Amino acid sequence: MSQAQEKQKILYIATHGPGDPERATLPFVLANAALSMGVEAVVALQGDAVWLGVKGTASHVFAGGLPPLQDLLDGFLELGGRLLVCSPCIQHRKMDSQVLIPQAQVVAAATLTSEILTAKAVLNY
Amino acid sequence: MQADRSLDCRGMACPMPIVKLSKAIKEMSQGQILAVSADDPGFEADVRAWCETTGNQLKALESEGEIRTAYIAKS
Repeated sequence: MSQAQEKQKILYIATHGPGDPERATLPFVLANAALSMGVEAVVALQGDAVWLGVKGTASHVFAGGLPPLQDLLDGFLELGGRLLVCSPCIQHRKMDSQVLIPQAQVVAAATLTSEILTAKAVLNY
Repeated sequence: MQADRSLDCRGMACPMPIVKLSKAIKEMSQGQILAVSADDPGFEADVRAWCETTGNQLKALESEGEIRTAYIAKS
């Protein structure tokens, strides 16, 4: 693999939570594939997708034809994927950052903008 | 074709065959052949794309019913 390929990054912005299992799961399908291809993958949870970062939530999300979200989330983190969670989105939902999985990083708009600018591609789900 | 290692990914949904083969090939030595069998309909296209992106070589692709077996040489 070339060095250029190793430096590539894809950012997936997830906006759907457990209420839409397929849209909630798809960013993690793609992110796992990217990581398996040597591409850096970052998933940013915004809107209702922030619920996916809450401890124990992913294990209740199942989409037809796709692996269970918990398996994909575990694989994503194991392969070095980074999980970002929107700060104002958790505040709006009166969510304490302590309820999030330990690997989740709470970020605000400037951090996410920086991630967007340094990504090869940005996909919004 | 003979393989140094075989991986059975039958019954696994996308993207797990690619995730599993990626992990397996990291544990192998350069030039060794990994055989991966899967029945996911997207596997053939996926394994071609994975090899093209990662630089590993797709040596052969065999079909038996819905099962595709890819033979990949580690680069």
